[in-house]
Amino acid sequence: MSALSGTRVLELAEDVGGEYCGKLLADFGAEVVKLEKPGTGSPTRQRAPFAPNGGPGENSGLFAYLNTNKRSCALDLALPAAQAALFQLVEHVDVVIEDHPSGWLAGIGLDPRSFQTRWPHLVLCSITAFGQSPPDDRRHAEDLNVFHASGWGYHTPSQADERRPPLKGPGRFLPSYEAALDAALCVVAALYERDVTGHGRFIDVSKQQVLASRIDYVLGQMVSGDMDVSPQRSAFDLFGPASIFPCRDGYCYIWMSAPAHWDALGKLLGHPQWMRAFPERWLERECTPERVAQVRHHIGDWLRTQDKHEAAQRAQELGLTLVAVNNARDLEASPQYRHRGFFVPLTHPAQGPGRYPTVPYKLSVTPAALHTPAPRLGEPVSGLSGAQGLGS
Amino acid sequence: MSPAARGGPLQGVRVIELTKVWAGPYTGKLLAFLGAEVIRVESRESLDVTRTYGVADIDKAPGFQAVNPQKLSVQIDMKTKEGVGLILALLGKSDVVIENLRPGAVKRLGLGYDTVKSAKPDIVYVSMGMYGSEGPLSYQTGYAPCFAALGGLSALVGYEGEAPGGMNVRYGDSTYGTAAAYATMVALLHRRRTGVGQYIDVSAVESMTSMIGDTVMDYTLNGTVQRCEGNRHPEMAPHGVYPCREQQWISIAVASDPAWSALAEVMARPELAQHPDFRTLAARKAREPELDRLLAAWTASQDAQDLAGRLQARGIAAAKSQSSVDLVADPQLWARQFYRTVSDRDGDTRTVVGPGWSMTGEASIADAAPRLGEHNAYVLGQLLGLSAAERQGFADAGVTR
Repeated sequence: MSALSGTRVLELAEDVGGEYCGKLLADFGAEVVKLEKPGTGSPTRQRAPFAPNGGPGENSGLFAYLNTNKRSCALDLALPAAQAALFQLVEHVDVVIEDHPSGWLAGIGLDPRSFQTRWPHLVLCSITAFGQSPPDDRRHAEDLNVFHASGWGYHTPSQADERRPPLKGPGRFLPSYEAALDAALCVVAALYERDVTGHGRFIDVSKQQVLASRIDYVLGQMVSGDMDVSPQRSAFDLFGPASIFPCRDGYCYIWMSAPAHWDALGKLLGHPQWMRAFPERWLERECTPERVAQVRHHIGDWLRTQDKHEAAQRAQELGLTLVAVNNARDLEASPQYRHRGFFVPLTHPAQGPGRYPTVPYKLSVTPAALHTPAPRLGEPVSGLSGAQGLGS
Repeated sequence: MSPAARGGPLQGVRVIELTKVWAGPYTGKLLAFLGAEVIRVESRESLDVTRTYGVADIDKAPGFQAVNPQKLSVQIDMKTKEGVGLILALLGKSDVVIENLRPGAVKRLGLGYDTVKSAKPDIVYVSMGMYGSEGPLSYQTGYAPCFAALGGLSALVGYEGEAPGGMNVRYGDSTYGTAAAYATMVALLHRRRTGVGQYIDVSAVESMTSMIGDTVMDYTLNGTVQRCEGNRHPEMAPHGVYPCREQQWISIAVASDPAWSALAEVMARPELAQHPDFRTLAARKAREPELDRLLAAWTASQDAQDLAGRLQARGIAAAKSQSSVDLVADPQLWARQFYRTVSDRDGDTRTVVGPGWSMTGEASIADAAPRLGEHNAYVLGQLLGLSAAERQGFADAGVTR
């Protein structure tokens, strides 16, 4: 039994935010049933990356990843007759998750302002780009747009060349994954209270707001007037020699902010002549652009002759925060990830055996677990209370 | 407002923070935003550096105040035996403890999970480390941009065919803190239902990887190691960030052929919609550099906000790339009460950043970050039941203040 065993979740999601939120709950044993359009299923079934096996509708690695431990049920919510079936399902669940454009919920009969009169016990959670009541000029957004509306885009990368465009984040879906974390946190918090009070809640997660809240340390100082705001692309940056450097087999990242880091660098490089010209505690007190450039130049020369994992190990043993810039291959090979069992084997009925990334937290009593691969399209649903016959 | 009366789903939950800097405090902040009473254990002997950045007065540090609203502070020197005794007594009256000290530090202090569990068998104990608390690399340490580099994110952020530049240097701590908060919440629910506490071991680096799970799947399924791709997206074109006047930038994402038709009309180039070079996604992807040049030439003379509005009116996903000026002026963020006003003990107010959600019946967010030891009387007196004489004794011995 895991922590969320016995919790029933209806997932009305068709995008990454809602599906990942459902996955976060299902990983801990929640009984998650997703409704899919008959015939085509969730749009994420058509999205990359694709497995070599499985064929259309079943070969999406994205869908396979996002929908482990879930079951699927075919129901076309666009049909008028679907509402009675939907309402019957809602009677039997604790939580409903959705990630459609704002206003969609009211259209299917689950108006955020009034659902509690009929279903006072229900926890209803929506994930949208800008919340449930966006202004007219924010009704359409992909994750790229949310990332740039949140401030992260404009300020990425650090040390930007202002003539070149600001960048998107890593991968395609960072804003959705971030928002899903907040959504899952709020859903479980609402369940925690509901166990005692019996009352549900409406939870309205805004991806833009989630991302902006992630920069609270900086934005909080700006909005309170303690830090300057400006059109500078460097407004979130920290100053100092920290940077990504090329090495023989890839890239390394070095962080340096304290005397201990400087001392460790000296030991690592064998106390070269150029370091002796630097004043003590220059990193904290006399960190000029010239010195930063000089340090970066010398570190760059040295790292070009090094391999990333070996350099990181030697530096870390001396107290210098130097790390490898890992790619997916490095992660799968990481001895630390192996030790923690971050990748887990799971066989998908159409795609075959795979290795799935899991979660960053290990719970000693109720660990997250992958037990069931993502549902196939049109797979018969059995033993689902209240859902019999919905597939036909 | 008394923490006991703030409302919210976690009203009545008590969380103790043995945390520093950003990630651990962010975990506590999210739980406080949900209504928990969150108490920071602090001391001058082991001060959170964010209380000292940029200011002489450790009670007025802006960065600290940004991340620690809504919390309480008790001053206990955890490097003394008596201090550890007081902390264990406090944990005996608490539900959760969060620590993000250096690897192994809690054990050396006598506050490891086994010890705490003896004092409070059903505690939810949350340990946060760059690589987690055990394993061959758990001795390594780093700051947020190290998490992003190790977790696989930095390698994906950069211009096509060039060296990676990585996410903004500030990224990482708060995401990691949120992952820890979610795990904590799951453990709290389990404890409410069964009476059983547990130990949670959170890895910052793995938290980063969970932000690119699908990219990692591409490797495990196909052996594909993805690299920097600028602003490209395999399933959308155009998909990019384009220059506007006065050094502004606009993000535009076209996810369908009808959206491309609409964009061509807004550009006053309707012939592009049906042009064989651009009509389909495959065609647009094949000529993406040319497509990006076309768009950039058209956007360059325009105002980003105005253009975003005109594109939105035609159903096209577009948004200004917001600078810090835009962010603090964003009318939508103000309308949703993302920015909140909190007060300190003297009645002075300041604005803080709220949570990423709204919810019915949410907790009141009204209190500023605490002064060092502001709640000594409440914690030592009321919660631990120490008499005035006992408290004076601890203060004289330097264990508390």
